[in-house]
Amino acid sequence: MTSVDIARLAASRGRLAAATAARLDPVTAEVVRNGMETICFEMAVYVSRTATTPILNQSNERNATILDAQGRLAALSVGIPQFMLTSTLPVRFALEFLGVEEFREGDVFVANDPYHGGGHLPDYNVFAPVFADDPATGTRRMVLIASIQCHHGDTGGAVPGGYNVTAADIWGEGVRWPVVKVIDQGRERRDVLYALQVNNRIPDYIGDLRAQIGAAQLGVSRLQEILLRQGTERVEQAVDAMIDYAAKRFREEVASWPDGVYEADAYVDHDPLGNPDVHLHVAITVSGSDISIDFTGSDTRPELQAWSTFGNTRGYTIGQLASMMDPEIPKNEGFFESIELVVPPGCVLNPAPGKPVSAGTHHPGADVGEVIALAMQHVLPDKAVPQTYKTGIPTVIRGIDPRTGQAFVDHSAEVYAGWCNAAKGIDAWGALSTSFGNLWKATAEINESLFPHVQWSRDYRTDSGGAGQWRGICGSHYEKEVRVDSTVYTYVVGMKYPMVGICGGKNGSPNEMILRYGSADPVRVEHTANNVPMRAGDRVMYDYGGGGGWGDPLDRDPQAVLDDVLDEYVSVAGAERDYAVVLTGSLSDLTLAVDAAATDRLRAERSKVRR
Amino acid sequence: MGYRVGVDVGGTFTDLICVTPDGDVVLDKTPSTLDDQSTGVMQGLAQLAERFGMAVPDFCADLEIVVHGTTTGDNTMIEMNGAATGLLVTEGHRDEIEMRRCHKEQIWDPSAPGPAPIARRRARIAIPERLDFQGEVLLPLDEDAVRAGVRRLRQLGVRSIAVMYLFSFVNPEHELRTRDIVLEEFPDVDHITLSHEVMPRGPEFERVSTTLVNAYLAPKLARYIGNLQGKLRTGGFAGPLLIMQSTGGVMPPDYVARRAVSVLASGPTGGVMGATVTARHAGIDDFVAVDMGGTSYDLCLVRGGRPEIKTDWNWRYRYYIGMPMVDVQSVGAGGGSIARVRQGALLVGPESAGSTPGPACYGRGGTLPTVTDADLVLGYLPEAGFAGGRMRLDIDAARDAIRREVAEPLGIDVVDAAWGIERIVNANMANATRKVLAGYGADPRTLSLIAYGGNGPVHAWAIAPELDIERIVVPKAAPAFSALGVLVADYVVDVVRSYVTPLSQLDVARLHALLADLLDEGRKELEPAGLSESDVEIGLYVQMCYPGQNFDMSVPIPEGTDFDETHLLDLAERFHDQHLAERGFCFRSQQPLVRGARLAARGHTPKPEKFAALGTVVDPAEVRRGVRRAYFGAWHDCEVYDGSQLAAGVSIAGPALVEEPFTVIVIPPGMTAELDALGNYTMTA
Repeated sequence: MTSVDIARLAASRGRLAAATAARLDPVTAEVVRNGMETICFEMAVYVSRTATTPILNQSNERNATILDAQGRLAALSVGIPQFMLTSTLPVRFALEFLGVEEFREGDVFVANDPYHGGGHLPDYNVFAPVFADDPATGTRRMVLIASIQCHHGDTGGAVPGGYNVTAADIWGEGVRWPVVKVIDQGRERRDVLYALQVNNRIPDYIGDLRAQIGAAQLGVSRLQEILLRQGTERVEQAVDAMIDYAAKRFREEVASWPDGVYEADAYVDHDPLGNPDVHLHVAITVSGSDISIDFTGSDTRPELQAWSTFGNTRGYTIGQLASMMDPEIPKNEGFFESIELVVPPGCVLNPAPGKPVSAGTHHPGADVGEVIALAMQHVLPDKAVPQTYKTGIPTVIRGIDPRTGQAFVDHSAEVYAGWCNAAKGIDAWGALSTSFGNLWKATAEINESLFPHVQWSRDYRTDSGGAGQWRGICGSHYEKEVRVDSTVYTYVVGMKYPMVGICGGKNGSPNEMILRYGSADPVRVEHTANNVPMRAGDRVMYDYGGGGGWGDPLDRDPQAVLDDVLDEYVSVAGAERDYAVVLTGSLSDLTLAVDAAATDRLRAERSKVRR
Repeated sequence: MGYRVGVDVGGTFTDLICVTPDGDVVLDKTPSTLDDQSTGVMQGLAQLAERFGMAVPDFCADLEIVVHGTTTGDNTMIEMNGAATGLLVTEGHRDEIEMRRCHKEQIWDPSAPGPAPIARRRARIAIPERLDFQGEVLLPLDEDAVRAGVRRLRQLGVRSIAVMYLFSFVNPEHELRTRDIVLEEFPDVDHITLSHEVMPRGPEFERVSTTLVNAYLAPKLARYIGNLQGKLRTGGFAGPLLIMQSTGGVMPPDYVARRAVSVLASGPTGGVMGATVTARHAGIDDFVAVDMGGTSYDLCLVRGGRPEIKTDWNWRYRYYIGMPMVDVQSVGAGGGSIARVRQGALLVGPESAGSTPGPACYGRGGTLPTVTDADLVLGYLPEAGFAGGRMRLDIDAARDAIRREVAEPLGIDVVDAAWGIERIVNANMANATRKVLAGYGADPRTLSLIAYGGNGPVHAWAIAPELDIERIVVPKAAPAFSALGVLVADYVVDVVRSYVTPLSQLDVARLHALLADLLDEGRKELEPAGLSESDVEIGLYVQMCYPGQNFDMSVPIPEGTDFDETHLLDLAERFHDQHLAERGFCFRSQQPLVRGARLAARGHTPKPEKFAALGTVVDPAEVRRGVRRAYFGAWHDCEVYDGSQLAAGVSIAGPALVEEPFTVIVIPPGMTAELDALGNYTMTA
């Protein structure tokens, strides 16, 4: 069996020689681009409408993309940037491994393997080739590929739910499908679908997969309408034009950055086994309009339990870069092909095949954004906003619900705030970083009717946002009471390494989690909570970390600090401690005012000490 | 029968439709007065009176009814200048409104700001109190904290107070008690909104958002409507004033004032209701209603003669509105949409030149090329202009703007550039339409297109083929269609009461009590309309979902008050069937959850016999105005006709341009338009 080098595949830059010959008018290119983005949206909506489990029909965890026949990303739609950007490599793998001759009209494929281009096992990618007449030969051939990727609630393996963070290897985490054909020229492969079905715990899994298959088929028929209307050649030219345009815009952005080599380090507190200080290193070389991103020097300790596969690392890398550029640049292959990405095999960001990835998908995966932002902060001060999170994994609470007598699994998918950095010119706002703006999390009134618990608090914590000229977001003080005996399973990071401040901004406050909070025998979570027992009435307390600040806190407008104190994002003491702003009067009778003279003196003193 | 008037206040014009005692339909426009919209409304009535040769007080006295679509709510949210608003909220949940369940609109731009706050954090007071999901008290209401909180809000200058406690829709006692305390501590407060009254269901983010918007809008809306009512009364009007709501129905001012949030999108909703009534008369059940105005393109899917009502994911001005709303979606594509070239790509909108400075051809200082400029250059619009001939269009200014901003940067000629603007804006509208249809799983090929708004008639010919829609209907009243719509809309009362229980444990006696309560409220609300019983249609529903779902489904109970234990199984079956039909799946083995009871009452209003004034000319050649060249991928000589004189039954083959007083119906080569007795041009290939 041939093995396929995913990193080499990612770097390949196929294109149609014929299609580039003619120059396409910009209007048609724009019409085709909008049409494709609309089709991505239609595919995503189709899944929401027809999927049977809440994880698919109520969250926005569905990522639709359109690729060309070479597996180049042409368009994408609603979803989570990092995941949309991860979803192209499994298609490329299939093209390379099976060969284009195995892609026939009416086929649909399924893939989920992190070592064949994917992110982690619960992410199932479903894709289908789009055929059209080739005017040159008078025959039909593959022109595009419609793809839809969704996160499923289970993927087999030793532990239900898709997150087995202490599995010894990938096989312990779940079942792997590098690529299988589920529909063969319009005929359902019952053998394959049945194999998929029996390898998953969730009875509705296959229904959800069918929803994805239907979405891919919808994408195919809608794309065929566009191909018919515009003509095969013009659509191919439009794809080339779209990719060229994105690449050109990308390169123009890079060219406006000063040449140089920019390096940074970032760390994850520990892996789920407690191995400390998982290390990421990046060297970003900007030279004219070229950029290379090299993760050489990142952790290679073989005993680690924190591995982000190449495809996962690539998705987070591109996601971070996209957030640092003009948001109007269309997201397509033009991004990928403009970056030289070096991730040495064997490091935590490109593990040897077989390493477990459940924990590593998030950490160090998500921390890629942080290390890139850190490296670029002095070159791109107004763009360096890490698009990341410090989540570990979701907090999983299990017990028996007395209302039903059934076991419940509460993934604590409720709203909380944290880890959102300030950007230059704007204080952080909302709950999480921008990239996760398409999430739609549960609330107390939803989850308390499902699970035997009470959510007592998730309010912002005063003084938890990183100080800066622009302030990081405050983290939540989160308290949840279990009303029945339960156990808690989780993995916490961001205690030793909280969200970093940028350009002189201070770090956000760290995470802290205490189980049986306020009881006689509280448990502070050091790295993992391995089914810690809770009695009815006990509380889970999670102080989610704040976001990092941007710029020197001494440069923050004292009036803005006063406003923050009035709004209790910052305390009176915090104003003086973190911002050197001296206030007079009192908050309780609304007589607070900035003591300008005292503030100037204190700020001058602090800057002197600093020098 | 007296005169009946529909008024829609838009950003540029206040549109009026008057149905005379003889059944004639008169359309008029007057500039909007945005500081106080009632001035424009009164001016419009004066214009109408003049047309009928009547003194204003006589006309007002002969007015039977005035129905109003207002942008007061929308403008307040656009400008964020509502009441100084404070919030009393369950402790621990003070920041739900900022966290927004994680939602951010711009996922690619970390510098994109959050929404402007209605109540800043300092004006959100945490109150110790807590109910569980069944309404049992876990923590009693801390009344001292409420008193202190109200005093704090007064100190902050707050005039309007929103109250949102968790699970108040299951047990409203804490919120009701809080209102009493607020009134004791702050007797002259302008307004109080209790969350369970404005949105009697979960979840809390949706409810706090809805409650805050309501409290923010209510004082201003009450003032505006009071003002308008005062002027109408002074003018001699004695009949009822009705306000259009986003539910698609009209109600009297005091009902609307309590539900201020329901006037958002009042005008566009009116347009949809107009399209619905027009379509019903024309025998069309399934269609997309599209309204292309100066700055936006609004659309709504109507199937089976009923506009789609959306009960979730209603975002307006970055706030979540947790009410059933006619699902009018809006994108930034209109006559004023600006075209520009960026890095070799041609983009159109969403930025708009609005009415000031407006398109380059308006000659009001606008220098950037817009869709209207392209329409003019391509020959669709007459240089003599529209708005009743009051406004000429400057074609040289339009050409210059397109040449400078589009043609030269792209290295193409002006006509190709204008044609490019046209293709892109039409594709943008078609794509926006597709997205909405996708949400409902509707196939555009089975639909008709009803196009209105000032620019709908100019662009409909190009939008429909992009969607494979074969039949286009352009009503003569298109330029003032929202005004027509509010006039023909029915009374709608929509009330929900919460009652959360597994269906298997439903207490039928309690359901009966709720239904009786709802019927009582519905009757009371409709009483002032003085409708006869036969004119009122009442629907009773149980709100149901599967455990864990975020949304409710309204399942009809045709048994009404005869509902008893023996009907429970039927109800469960209806829910599963409906879920299968609407969402594509169902779980027959699962026990549905009941979340409440709902009453939707509709009181029928009289409808005019026709919707526009028709002419008498049977042979179009008699009202031929000449020939104008228009561009449809190539130049075509088009016959130009005066549409206002055409009689029903006239058929006009494209390429042709039919000029109505306030718009042009563009008929491309290969299509034919036929005018029917109701005043609709139906265009087909």
